[in-house]
Amino acid sequence: MSERLIEAKDLCVRRQGGLVLDNVSLALGERDFITLIGPNGAGKSVLLRHLLKLETPDSGSVTHKQGLRIGYIPERFQIDPTLPMPVRRFLTLNNNQPADALAELVAETRCDMLLDKPLAALSGGEMQRVLLARALSNQPHVLMLDEPAQNLDVSGQLQFYRLIDELYEKRDLSVLMVSHDLHMVMSSTRQVVCLYHHICCSGAPDSIARDPEFIQMFGGEMAQMMAVYQHSHSHDHTHDDAYDHTHHHEVKP
Amino acid sequence: MTAPLLITATALALLAGPLGCFVVWRRMAYFGDGLAHSALLGVAIGLIVGMSHQIGMILIAIIFAITLIWLRAQSLLATDTLLGILAHAALSLGILAMALLGVEDAEVHDYLLGSLDSVNADVLVYVVLGCGLSLGILMRLWPGLLLMTSSEELAHAEGVPVRVYEFLLMLLLGVLVAAAVQIVGILLITSLLIIPASAARLFAQSPEAMAIGGSLIAGLCMLAGLPVASAMAVPLGPTIVALTVALFVLLLAGRLLVDRLKPAG
Repeated sequence: MSERLIEAKDLCVRRQGGLVLDNVSLALGERDFITLIGPNGAGKSVLLRHLLKLETPDSGSVTHKQGLRIGYIPERFQIDPTLPMPVRRFLTLNNNQPADALAELVAETRCDMLLDKPLAALSGGEMQRVLLARALSNQPHVLMLDEPAQNLDVSGQLQFYRLIDELYEKRDLSVLMVSHDLHMVMSSTRQVVCLYHHICCSGAPDSIARDPEFIQMFGGEMAQMMAVYQHSHSHDHTHDDAYDHTHHHEVKP
Repeated sequence: MTAPLLITATALALLAGPLGCFVVWRRMAYFGDGLAHSALLGVAIGLIVGMSHQIGMILIAIIFAITLIWLRAQSLLATDTLLGILAHAALSLGILAMALLGVEDAEVHDYLLGSLDSVNADVLVYVVLGCGLSLGILMRLWPGLLLMTSSEELAHAEGVPVRVYEFLLMLLLGVLVAAAVQIVGILLITSLLIIPASAARLFAQSPEAMAIGGSLIAGLCMLAGLPVASAMAVPLGPTIVALTVALFVLLLAGRLLVDRLKPAG
């Protein structure tokens, strides 16, 4: 078993009386690629913010491995138009990025043509790539992405997820991503965790799609579509673990 | 015009440029106003306790910032409402205190609008020390502050102590207010922060360029304002601010002209 980079134990978070996170436990190990799905208001972003230690839970704990570096793409990023910020300056803010490392970083994230543009002038897809470059700029062990493709069109989404996949293959990274794009998630990610205040189910996409709680949440048609999608696409990807199409999901309390 | 005045004006301008940028970027204009309004109370406390006005104003600025942060954390009222309450509470208390202490109206007037006679060697030491120290701190915090201004979450996740930085920024504004009150006056301090930075924004391509541009514009207007106010025997603060507005209008016209010509060319 790989070493745990981030571990959340029995997280409970209360907001205005209601439990947003109800006894959530989750561990992210080295080289893990976990996608967090769930309906709106399920507490996905809240969980991510707690895993980042941006907020403190009402009970439970989050532990980071000593010296852990996290690259983060927040759900919303909107720069004030009065702040003139060229991409180059943004990527070198508050870190000592040498010129050659920057060149490599922007080539890897396809931002090389954007360096002299102001942040405020970027398109949605360009902005996400710049944020990805920023997230990678401190050589993180973990990449945390909060709905990174929400403002992109379908081909933009595809390209962005492909880029994340590429980076995951190339770098020594763990990825934890919140996503709404079920069809992408089910066809490409390695482990899926379905959250609705508590963790409903987790495991490989095909097993998730057959989970009764998942079917209840997203509807039978959706689950069926996912399962079909999963089957027809299972050979297109460079997964290192072959999926056995059996029930082996682990439902956590 | 005297050497202390020139040095004071230069020191103020150097700090007002970059600090003004943050006021613009982080929408702290109302906070700056509130801080300035509380300055009179600081002067009164300085008079009562028998210490320098500048120290009194900085003390009040610290109390002002802490009270605001605490009230804001209770999330009962909007921040601008809280600022309005705090600012006017401090201003009325300050004016009452000045009246009770028997300070002459003319002197209160000087605090409100700034005066040429107010700067002497004693004040100079505070201003130069305060501005120099603040500028040093601001340069240390600069990258982190810029990152948290771009995205607070991102800065937080990358390990910038966001709350500490925010408090320090408020403190630096307090120092600037204390240093600038006697030249520019309580009523117009915020404009010394906002107008030069906004004028610089019209042509700046990077945060640093905007900060330096702001300092240049503030410095130019202060150094030009001193002889003008003195020759025409008018209050100093409004003279300086009128000059910054004139420069802003000129640059705005230039910017609009450039934009108009660009698509054609």
